[in-house]
Amino acid sequence: MTALAANPFPTIQAAEETTPLVVGARGLGKTVDRRIVLHDVNLRIRAGEYIAILGTNGAGKTTLLKLLATLTTPTTGQLQLFGNDAMRTPSAIRRRIGLIDHQLLLYRDLSAIENLEFYAGLYGLDEPTKRAEEMLHRFNLLDRADDPVKSFSRGMSQRLAIGRALLHDPDLILADEPFAGLDAPSSEFLENAFQQIVTAGKTVVLVNHDIEQTLRLVDRVIVLRGGTIALDQPTHRLYLEEILAEVKAL
Amino acid sequence: MSTAGTNIFVRIYWAATVAMFALALAVLFTYTPTESTMGPIQKIFYLHLPIAISTFIACMVSFIASIGYLSTRKTEWDELAAASAWVAVQLCSVVLITGMLWARGAWGLWWTWSPRLTFSLVLWLLYVVYLMIRMSIESTERRAIVGAVYGLIAFLDVPLVYLSVRLMPDMHPTSVELAWPMKLTLMAWFVPVFMLAGGLIAAKTVLNRRQGEPSPSVAGFPAFPARGAL
Amino acid sequence: MTRAISQFSLLVRKDLRIESRSRQTIGLVTVLGVLVVSVLGLGLGAASNVAGFSATAVLWVAYLFSGVLCFEKTMAVERNDGVLAGLLMAPLDRGLIYLSKLASNLILMIAVAAVVTPVGILFFGFDLSAAPGTFVAVMALSIIGFASIGTLFSAVVSSTRLQGGLLAMMLFPIVLPLVITSTQLMLHTFRDGQPASGGAVGVIVAFDVIFMTVSWIVFEWVLEP
Repeated sequence: MTALAANPFPTIQAAEETTPLVVGARGLGKTVDRRIVLHDVNLRIRAGEYIAILGTNGAGKTTLLKLLATLTTPTTGQLQLFGNDAMRTPSAIRRRIGLIDHQLLLYRDLSAIENLEFYAGLYGLDEPTKRAEEMLHRFNLLDRADDPVKSFSRGMSQRLAIGRALLHDPDLILADEPFAGLDAPSSEFLENAFQQIVTAGKTVVLVNHDIEQTLRLVDRVIVLRGGTIALDQPTHRLYLEEILAEVKAL
Repeated sequence: MSTAGTNIFVRIYWAATVAMFALALAVLFTYTPTESTMGPIQKIFYLHLPIAISTFIACMVSFIASIGYLSTRKTEWDELAAASAWVAVQLCSVVLITGMLWARGAWGLWWTWSPRLTFSLVLWLLYVVYLMIRMSIESTERRAIVGAVYGLIAFLDVPLVYLSVRLMPDMHPTSVELAWPMKLTLMAWFVPVFMLAGGLIAAKTVLNRRQGEPSPSVAGFPAFPARGAL
Repeated sequence: MTRAISQFSLLVRKDLRIESRSRQTIGLVTVLGVLVVSVLGLGLGAASNVAGFSATAVLWVAYLFSGVLCFEKTMAVERNDGVLAGLLMAPLDRGLIYLSKLASNLILMIAVAAVVTPVGILFFGFDLSAAPGTFVAVMALSIIGFASIGTLFSAVVSSTRLQGGLLAMMLFPIVLPLVITSTQLMLHTFRDGQPASGGAVGVIVAFDVIFMTVSWIVFEWVLEP
């Protein structure tokens, strides 16, 4: 049911208590156009967790992610990010969040480096050109730095989009169906990228549709159904059938 | 107040409004002197002025309701804003028609670009557009936000319209000194007109509320049953 | 404060750079303006007794249509590929987004006016020698007011399906005080030979100040990713 991730090992649990809370949501709800999209969402996410949110279409996954990204405000309930009230001090929080969407969030008419320099400048990073070049190098895009994004393949533009999201070194990465439409090599690249980020101590929350892939990648699975959390368990305690049942249950 | 009690109150209110109109009409045709230069058409003025002022008040209510919606995002404010704008358009139509009748009576023209007529026209256009905006947007939330922003801006525009039309050539002197019988007649007309405007705004707000789906926050239960754990 | 200025200039430069790459907006908008003036010129100019100073009203019609298209397109840049979310996620004061869009709109509108106005003056034989400075100043101030409210409204309607028609419908009545005041000012200055009345110019300036301020404040409340 709506159980928080319980840990059977007391020593590890003690360590968890001291890990900072990245997301704290209580009674979170969102109503849009008189339709209740989310209700009674309670969630605690600690630093370094790698989490996937699953659910059928319309279950409220994207809305929940938008709330965590401070792109929209909750109708009811409280949301705390990095210990701050998300509704009061959004600016301080935004610096620490990176968003990867199935939309690119890149300007197609500008070149790869122009896009990254723009975002680097917007985030107030030192030496924006250097940061941009480093990021392009890391994602194997340096040779296409001056080409407009509209000339990129889907895999390349998705890599650039990830580079954009990581440019300001965020502590919380939110990704909405990042694997959608990617071919196998790009998909593998992205999986490795996420794993590297988590190993570095950052928190990753992704909305995904492929349940098998999810079980392979993440530490904790949350299933949304009908606008509220139906399942919230660490991966090692779950079987594929169980998740399928929760996702599709009526 | 119980539904039965409300119904009785509403009926008494409208009956009283009609009675006051009847009284005002009686006063107009028996007591009020006919103005020398214009003749009987001048009597339109006693309807025109109260309605013009009511229009302005309705616009102000819409303005306040728009701000109310933008700060609280509660649908009640949106319903009031839409209702008062609707009433403003109806009243402003009467202002335009009576103004044109006056112009016909005074100068023999149905239309002239004088400050007052132009002002009435622009006001009418401003709020008709408000209604058109609401008709054009399907999403309830988006409609409310767009309407509220426009309602806010439109009312702020009104004093600027007033100041700008004063630059236009005027055909008649600005103010007329009113004799006592005329003032009394005006007061007799202000009462039913204000009652009409206020009643219409209230009625239309209630109508707006009924036409929307029941708000989930009111009944306290979700719009569809919660599945999974609670 | 310096951060705000650098962010503002980043945003404006980004918009202008995109415009210079695609060159979509400026061409379309200018041609539309010239077409409007031509249509009116063909229709009215043939009549021999059309006064030269009615060019102002003709220009206003051209500006209104061009402006609506221009404002719509500058906002549309943020609708592609969800880039607006990228701006909203950045540690950026949302009022700066308004100011940068306003600046882009003004730059484009002034470029358009620079082409359309001479065409209008040419077709209608408007003689500006009496007070060319007044003409330019009044039209410039009016365009600032027009763009101020146009930028806000274009953001408000950009998430609805109907965009262009709705934007035109919302903008036209609101900017009528600008149209009325500027045309009356032109009449008084060029037909009657009177110096520009301070009160009239004051109305335009008041419009600019009030609506730029209100739009800047309200903009934040209406942005939706």
